[in-house]
Amino acid sequence: MFRSAPGERAPIDDAAGHADDPLGDLLTRAGRGDQAAFVELYDTLAPLLHGIVLRVVRDPAQSEEVTQEALVELWRLAPRYETSRGSVRSWATTLAHRRAIDRVRSEQAARDRTAREAQRRDLPPHDVAEQVVATLDATRVRKALERLTDMQRQAVELAYFGGHSYRQVAQLLNVPEGTIKNRIRDGMIRLRDELGVAT
Amino acid sequence: MNGIDVHQLAAAYALDAVDERERAEFEAHYPTCPVCRPEIAGFRETLSHLAAASAATPPPSLKAEVMAEISTTRQLSPLLPEPVTDLAEFRQRRQRVLQLVTLAAALILIAAGAFVVGRQSRGTNGYAATAAAVFSRDDTRVVDLLGSGTGSFKVAWSPSSAQIVVIGNGLADPGSGKAYELWQIDNAGPHAMGLLDSAGNGQVRRVLTVDGAPSEWAITVEPKGGVDAPTGEVLFTNPA
Repeated sequence: MFRSAPGERAPIDDAAGHADDPLGDLLTRAGRGDQAAFVELYDTLAPLLHGIVLRVVRDPAQSEEVTQEALVELWRLAPRYETSRGSVRSWATTLAHRRAIDRVRSEQAARDRTAREAQRRDLPPHDVAEQVVATLDATRVRKALERLTDMQRQAVELAYFGGHSYRQVAQLLNVPEGTIKNRIRDGMIRLRDELGVAT
Repeated sequence: MNGIDVHQLAAAYALDAVDERERAEFEAHYPTCPVCRPEIAGFRETLSHLAAASAATPPPSLKAEVMAEISTTRQLSPLLPEPVTDLAEFRQRRQRVLQLVTLAAALILIAAGAFVVGRQSRGTNGYAATAAAVFSRDDTRVVDLLGSGTGSFKVAWSPSSAQIVVIGNGLADPGSGKAYELWQIDNAGPHAMGLLDSAGNGQVRRVLTVDGAPSEWAITVEPKGGVDAPTGEVLFTNPA
């Protein structure tokens, strides 16, 4: 119904673009029940998905469960993937992040985390720093993040990695909700532009 | 929600930083919005780079577990009435289909009468099929109940299907003439969800229908005749 017209979206400067997305072919094959293709997808995507799940969920054992859920979900939904949805990486990341968020919000633990972080206010250093894989992405992303104002970066990170809603972020920082919404929005736009992601 | 509000929500939505109501509202809006739709795609692409910068290799054992699970996991059919170009739109559409299926199923069940309902919930095959349906829903949440009781209880709840699956393992014998009972607790107090007959091997497998939005569960041991309010000690409940 809302299939993108050809050329509507410019390709992004990345191998994980849409039409020539090498993962797209693997996912299409996996969507026909090809488990060998899924193994290859696993090797590429598992570190990406586990990394984001780990940052949101934090607990390693629970993170493994959520990563597993996300990968199985990817398999289940694979027959319905279309390139017009965006790159496979983007689609898979969205799916895994949503799962991670659902996990932390469905638990009482979320409330405790909020309480703990309210006392800390500033972002804790990444506990998974030593596991961070040094990639081109990591350097580019770090540089792009540095271009955000401290306030924008804090709001984006508390929401995306901290798993907080913008309302919770507003409470944590004791700032009006509208202000946080704007910081998140401005931060995301700047991040997108700095990373050269076309829209 | 007016137009300006909706557009402002795009970034927060892409970050999963909205509540469930806003999520639903935005997902109803953005697939048709020429401003929000490409914006969401761009934000999601951006976030996949952000996520990639935190990549962390999972333990090697996870691969075997995932491959084992997918080998028994049925994929969705690729057939849809119209091409679906977006996950949110796909979810919405599936929601509508599921609602129709649920309605149809409800009508069949009503027609078939209580006998069939009972068999569906208690028979092993009926349980497995219904439980699998509950677990396969996107909105299913699983809670491990904790407490002083021997063994474990798990409750999986799917708001969209109004069904819960109760799984008990390694349970102590509740005693002669007694059974475990599940309670749903809200502001008005505990409501009986039903006695959970164990299969004699300390296991409970039940699918139950639930009203409203339960937030807390409790399990006690009660006389098999049934009681209006819990009389036994709370053996299992939601983790604090």
